[in-house]
Amino acid sequence: MSMTPELVCIVDDDQSMRRSLQRLFKSAGYSAEIFACAEDYLAREVFDGPSCLVLDVRMPGLNGLGLQEALEPRGAGEQIIFLTGHGNVPTCKQAMRKGAVDFLIKPFDDEELLGAVRRALGRSEDYLIKRAERREARERINKLTPREFEVLRFVITGLLNKQIAAELQTAEKTIKVHRGRAMQKLGAISVPDLVRLTQRAGIAPAIPSLRHKARVSA
Amino acid sequence: MKSASTLMGATKLASPPFQRANWRSGFGRQPITICLLVFAGYYLGARIGFSLTFQPHPVSVLWPPNSILLAALLLTPPRTWWLVLVAAFPAHCAAQWQSNVPTSMILCWFISNCFEALIGASLTRYFLRRPLRFINLREAGIFCLCAAICGPFFSSFLDAAFVRWNQWGDDSYWQLWQVRFSSNVLAVLVVTPFIVTWATGGLASLWKANRKRELEGVLLLLGLALVGAVSFYTLGPESDSALLLLPLPFLLWAAVRFGACGASTGIWIVALSAIWSAAHGHGPFSDSSPEQMARSVQMFLIVLSLPIMFLATVIEERATVEETLRESNALNRGIIDSLTSLVTILDRSGFIITSNEAWRRSHELEGAPTPGIDVGANYLEVCRRAASAGDLSVVSVLEGIETVLSGERIEFQCEYPCVTPAGSLWFEILVLPLRSEAGGAVISHRDITQRKAAERTIRERDARISLAAESANLALWTIDLERNESWMSDQGRAIFGLSPNEPLTRKLFFARVHPEDREEVYNAMELARATSESFEIEYRLRRPDGETRWLNARGRYLRNASEEVAELICVAIDVTAQMKANLELRLQRLEMARMSRVALMGELTASLAHELNQPLTAIASNAAAGRRFLQQGSLEPGMLDELLVDVVSDARRAGAVIHGIHNFVRKNEGERRAVDINETIREVLRLLHSDLLGRAASIETRLASTVPLIKADPIQLQQILLNLVMNALEAMQTTPMAERRIVVSTQCFEDSIITGVRDFGRGLPRDDLDKVFTHFYSTKPGGMGMGLTIVRSIVEAHGGKLSAANTEKGAQFFFTLPIMQKCEMLQST
Repeated sequence: MSMTPELVCIVDDDQSMRRSLQRLFKSAGYSAEIFACAEDYLAREVFDGPSCLVLDVRMPGLNGLGLQEALEPRGAGEQIIFLTGHGNVPTCKQAMRKGAVDFLIKPFDDEELLGAVRRALGRSEDYLIKRAERREARERINKLTPREFEVLRFVITGLLNKQIAAELQTAEKTIKVHRGRAMQKLGAISVPDLVRLTQRAGIAPAIPSLRHKARVSA
Repeated sequence: MKSASTLMGATKLASPPFQRANWRSGFGRQPITICLLVFAGYYLGARIGFSLTFQPHPVSVLWPPNSILLAALLLTPPRTWWLVLVAAFPAHCAAQWQSNVPTSMILCWFISNCFEALIGASLTRYFLRRPLRFINLREAGIFCLCAAICGPFFSSFLDAAFVRWNQWGDDSYWQLWQVRFSSNVLAVLVVTPFIVTWATGGLASLWKANRKRELEGVLLLLGLALVGAVSFYTLGPESDSALLLLPLPFLLWAAVRFGACGASTGIWIVALSAIWSAAHGHGPFSDSSPEQMARSVQMFLIVLSLPIMFLATVIEERATVEETLRESNALNRGIIDSLTSLVTILDRSGFIITSNEAWRRSHELEGAPTPGIDVGANYLEVCRRAASAGDLSVVSVLEGIETVLSGERIEFQCEYPCVTPAGSLWFEILVLPLRSEAGGAVISHRDITQRKAAERTIRERDARISLAAESANLALWTIDLERNESWMSDQGRAIFGLSPNEPLTRKLFFARVHPEDREEVYNAMELARATSESFEIEYRLRRPDGETRWLNARGRYLRNASEEVAELICVAIDVTAQMKANLELRLQRLEMARMSRVALMGELTASLAHELNQPLTAIASNAAAGRRFLQQGSLEPGMLDELLVDVVSDARRAGAVIHGIHNFVRKNEGERRAVDINETIREVLRLLHSDLLGRAASIETRLASTVPLIKADPIQLQQILLNLVMNALEAMQTTPMAERRIVVSTQCFEDSIITGVRDFGRGLPRDDLDKVFTHFYSTKPGGMGMGLTIVRSIVEAHGGKLSAANTEKGAQFFFTLPIMQKCEMLQST
């Protein structure tokens, strides 16, 4: 469990549902905010901690699925738990495909819901951490020049400098220089460090165009 | 006049009023006429008297004036006697002056004449007590005694005294008296009856006489005149005195044939001829001295006239009696003949004494019951012969007659048929005992063919009515309120469950009417009784065997001549079968409506589940939260209270939904009460809430701000709205989500509320808008198609109308419902 503040958001058009859920989450130690409709939630500024969204599928105006779609571009990473009065397989499929944590059918078991919330918050936290890491890695990589970046990408494929030079059609020495500078800028000690960093940043290795002998990594 | 008096019951029945009338009618002429007649008569009489004097004897044999005066007094009522005397006085004076009689004598004689007439008339009147008419012996006797004897008797004393006092003549008192007496007696006997009889009917009968009688009368007169001439004129004193009796046969003839009138006339003629002949020296009396002659003539005439007069009156009497009898017979005959029945009278042994006209004429009718049976024949014999000849109906008739004749029965009546060429006739024979000492029987046959035909017609008509009533299962009954009698047709008795002899009374009738309907029936009947109109009511009957039947009855009170309610006639038809059918139909309709509602609910299942889920889930969450707080030990009372309030409200909400469903789908009797349609619309929309969401349709309400109450069944009203909104949703399935709208509106218009449900879907089939309302028309796959049909029937049952129309986009359904009236509102409370 992280110590950063967590938030559970409840969006339901039924007041008694909202209140009862809020109470439930409160009793479980979560802080909860209630919204009467999807629009109200969208109007709220993005929460910067782990959060999850408990959503009724059927709502006037923008319904639950619609809200799910609308949240994707925001990239806030909130995890959604759907609540519904009746199980509808197509709706469920769509919801899960789009990345919902769970799809619960009313009346549900409170433990089930809280478990889902826990999972959702965990996922949300993971997402946030990953996002932070990526940002950080990306920042470091952004310090590289384009050439250095290019070389970096070949380095993490495990090619020798010579091979990289052949790929980039420059001298091996140039490659060495770039590699050194990159590693220094990035603060990596070894190639595996570089690999991990690029992985964190989400940068894919370059694809060699030439055929090279397989090389054992040093 | 004479016959009239005899008809009215001769001697015994003359009543005082009639007497008075007779006085008047007998001589009811004006006083002037009386005076003139008396004057003339007296004068004439005097002249005749003078001419009948035997010279030189100063006394006339026959002095009429006294008798004329007497006759006048006898013919007039006593109150005019003074007039008569006053009229006679001038005549008397006139007559006497001519004969050189001294004035005092004249006066004295007048006084004595009046005296004589007065005595005679008063005595006669006193004893007779009615006008003198010489119709019977008693009258004649009294007349003779009082008028003919007493009058002259007493007046002669006076007369003689006057003569002696005036020294008129030189006879002795007694001589004078004798002469006067006999002369006056003769005069009274001869003259007075003559005048009286002619005046009181002789003249009348003269007008009525026919040729024969006239001829007879003339012959008689001639005969008398001839005989008078012969016996008193041509015959001398030496002839046989027996010839004096020659006039007798003629007088008898006159008396017998012409009664008192004829007799008195005859006597008058004989007297005239005798006296005149003797006065002129002819006849059998002429050889004596004037006094002797006078006396003989007087004696002769008196002796002759008295018996003749008595005979005449006896004859009159007899004639009167005969006349009475004849008229009585004629009347009886007339009575019996005017009867239309065939009447015959039998004596004790069965012989026909008499029969009436109709009986006699029945000979002409062939086949009539009395062919050729005449007076004298034995009716019983005739009947016996007919019986033995094989006519069976005669047997009972014969027996009937015999028992009445023997006195065993007081009446026998029988109806029997008679076959004639003219057709079949019906007769009724009635035999009654004859009320006379001789006994016997009165038999009458009456033609009752018409009555029988009428009876048959009535019977047939009754039979037809009964048949019609039976086949239509009608009950007919009448109650006669005046006589407290009643009649009910057999069918009616069967329907009401009355035994055949049980009389129908008002009490019994109301006992049979179902208790709940009694008041209504009573009120309807009383209203009809007061207003004289017919009443029509439907009510239930509870039969003694427990079965209930529905009746549709109609009746009327009839009034009698004095405008009072006299009779009640009713007809009722058993409509139980129809009622039961109607009831079943109604139940079926209700069931259909219910099925429709169930189907509707079925369509809403998902939404309803959602509606229930919301509160249930909320309750579950609240409860879990509460437990957690409790376990943590951080449950504040305020929070707990809030929590529980929410739980309660949610539970209620769920309960309401369940109630709503339950009410909606249960069997509904269709009870109507005051309903606010706006509220019902809101309820329905709440119910449909999640369904609307599910289909992503938005709903807009345009409800009238205040809407009057309507009288409706709330469940059925919900059914209508639900159905219409569901249909609207159905119509918009293919419409893009953003355009899915339903508009529900209410507005008041005149005395009803118009409710509209509008959608923006695909609309109704353009060619035939009404198609949607037909049975089994459905656009839903698997739909029954009964929804709109049932909805329309519900709307119409509430007194409204449902219609549909296409709008630019989509369709609109609207229905009207009548606003609840104040009176209905008072009823429902």
